[in-house]
Amino acid sequence: MYGNWGKFLRVNLTTKEIKVETWDEELAKKWLGSRGLGIYLLLKEMDPKVDPLSPENKLIIAPGPLSGTSAPTGGRYNVITKSPLTGYITFANSGGFFGAELKRAGYDALVIEGASEKPVYIYIKDETVEIRDASHLWGKIMSETQETLKKELKDENIKVAWIGPAGEKLVKIAAIMNDIHRAAGRGGPGAVMGSKKLKAIAVRGTKDVPIANKEKFMLTIREKINKLRADPVAGGGLPKYGTAVLVNIINENGLYPARNFQTGVFQYAYEQSGEAMADKYLIRNHPCFACPIGCARMNKLPTIGVTEGPEYESIFALGSNLGISDLASIIEANHMCDEYGLDTISTGGTLATAMELYEKGLLKDSELGKSAPPLRWGNTEVLHYYIEKLAKREGFGDKLAEGGYRLAKMYNGEQYFMGVKKLELPAYDPRGAEGHGLGYATNNRGGCHIKNYMISPEILGYPKKMDPHDISDDKVKMLILFQDLTAIIDSAGLCLFTIFGLGPDDYRDMLNAALGWNLTTEEYLKIGERIWNAERLFNLKAGLDPKSEDTLPKRFLEEPMPEGPNKGRTVRLKEMLPRYYALRGWSEDGRIPEEKLKN
Amino acid sequence: MIHVRVYAMLIDLVGSRTLEVEGARTVKELLDILDSRYHGFKKELEKGFLILVNGVNVLHLNGLDTEIKDGDTVVIFPPVGGG
Repeated sequence: MYGNWGKFLRVNLTTKEIKVETWDEELAKKWLGSRGLGIYLLLKEMDPKVDPLSPENKLIIAPGPLSGTSAPTGGRYNVITKSPLTGYITFANSGGFFGAELKRAGYDALVIEGASEKPVYIYIKDETVEIRDASHLWGKIMSETQETLKKELKDENIKVAWIGPAGEKLVKIAAIMNDIHRAAGRGGPGAVMGSKKLKAIAVRGTKDVPIANKEKFMLTIREKINKLRADPVAGGGLPKYGTAVLVNIINENGLYPARNFQTGVFQYAYEQSGEAMADKYLIRNHPCFACPIGCARMNKLPTIGVTEGPEYESIFALGSNLGISDLASIIEANHMCDEYGLDTISTGGTLATAMELYEKGLLKDSELGKSAPPLRWGNTEVLHYYIEKLAKREGFGDKLAEGGYRLAKMYNGEQYFMGVKKLELPAYDPRGAEGHGLGYATNNRGGCHIKNYMISPEILGYPKKMDPHDISDDKVKMLILFQDLTAIIDSAGLCLFTIFGLGPDDYRDMLNAALGWNLTTEEYLKIGERIWNAERLFNLKAGLDPKSEDTLPKRFLEEPMPEGPNKGRTVRLKEMLPRYYALRGWSEDGRIPEEKLKN
Repeated sequence: MIHVRVYAMLIDLVGSRTLEVEGARTVKELLDILDSRYHGFKKELEKGFLILVNGVNVLHLNGLDTEIKDGDTVVIFPPVGGG
């Protein structure tokens, strides 16, 4: 095989058995790798009804066929597992260097099964694979874990993925972190790793990924890198301002959520924008493995020194959505989430839920504990105090650690949870981009933006500008294309930001040159559709009820946007959803017909 | 008076985030005025732009021929993206 090694590692933490297993070209042509390989293995080997925090849940960490190669942004990996937050599939994706290193160690995936009794970490150096004691690492935050492991392994270049105290405490919104500040965050994969008592995975890989046609591959890669460099977003706006350049765009378009999505305009947006960050705190960019874009920000603050981030989504989650304007406080809060190993979107979403419950009088001061800061919009004390409590499950933090949905339910305020399938929503009010709203409602991992980024056509104009309030079949078809194409980009091991500059044919070119295949763009998109359907099937088998769960919070369906360019708008989901099912070839009740599954 | 807000690289060019412009009847005329005031303004938009008139993208109005009047707010971005 080319691109993929045709090998993956299986580590059972109950029996301590370590095995190398194989998969073949025929399977690769159906599932490609990474996210596709992950859902294939989970459906084949695991009952989707298992308790996500039990030893029966499997944690699959998988780079793709282009990970570890010189393909632009080829450093990504996916974590595929059953989410303890949603109860459905999650495929959390991260950049940095860890994914490329795991691939270069000679593996297409690491399948972790069972659960250890005592804290352990997995050490991988090419063929050497060991399960080692991690008692001394348990309880440590990110920076301490990294330092200790580097010294212990006497290797400055070791690449590590790990969980923080939040994952250890089974916080349902815990992330798996790698390379200091990169996060496979969404859906609580850190809690799954914590339930297995697995603190870290430390990897060194020294092999070159096998490429079918090296000369053709290098020429293809050069052409695609040039395309990205020439693109005004991938080669201009993103390197200069990072993802936070979106703050002003989304705010001016009237869908930048503030105060738990009560409105789509935030008065202080500029103060937390990429432009303001570049002025005040930015010291340099920090590109991931083989990335010609370099969107990540290294910022410096007098209080915490140099840190990475925050990204656009984290600024909204820890800023506007809590009514907070101060960028320095947001940068500090983002740093805390990284140290404790928390998903920033869900951390902010959970705090926003708590703040609205407090505003509406359902959550009282007496619940919060002595000397706890009041949960008032804009109170920056909330960030530092409650993030620590949440990560450690201390006091009221134990309730926050369950995520926004369960918190809202505890206080009889489910209508104040802004999420889908129990996953807290990212930084776009769907009343300002209705196709994006349909994306939230139908995303296999719940309220997620990145697997169906309709903001691209609806607001930014990529690959073409579509009216954010058009709900025709063209819009629904564009969403399906984005979902299927994203499954391919993820499964290839590339970053989704390459869509600013590259189109479906470009991914085909790179994959064909690396894998030695001659597939058409349509055939690749068919793989994407297969992956999407397989993930949907996993959810249906896990108990998904499409009627009550392929939906949006009532706020977006019934409460008109109160101000700004989208004033008076709601999301016409009911008009779009049946057409989405039909265009997907699913039944009227959102199920996948047998004949569709045979493909 | 047209209220204009600019972002990203355009802030450096203009030296301010907000400005007021008189005498423009369409978005195109507004861009011409801005280009004469700030050399290279239109060049920044050569590869693409995102222009909103009172919050609505001009591509869903009448493009650069979209009419503007006193009191309108025009927001101008060079091509930018993220996620």
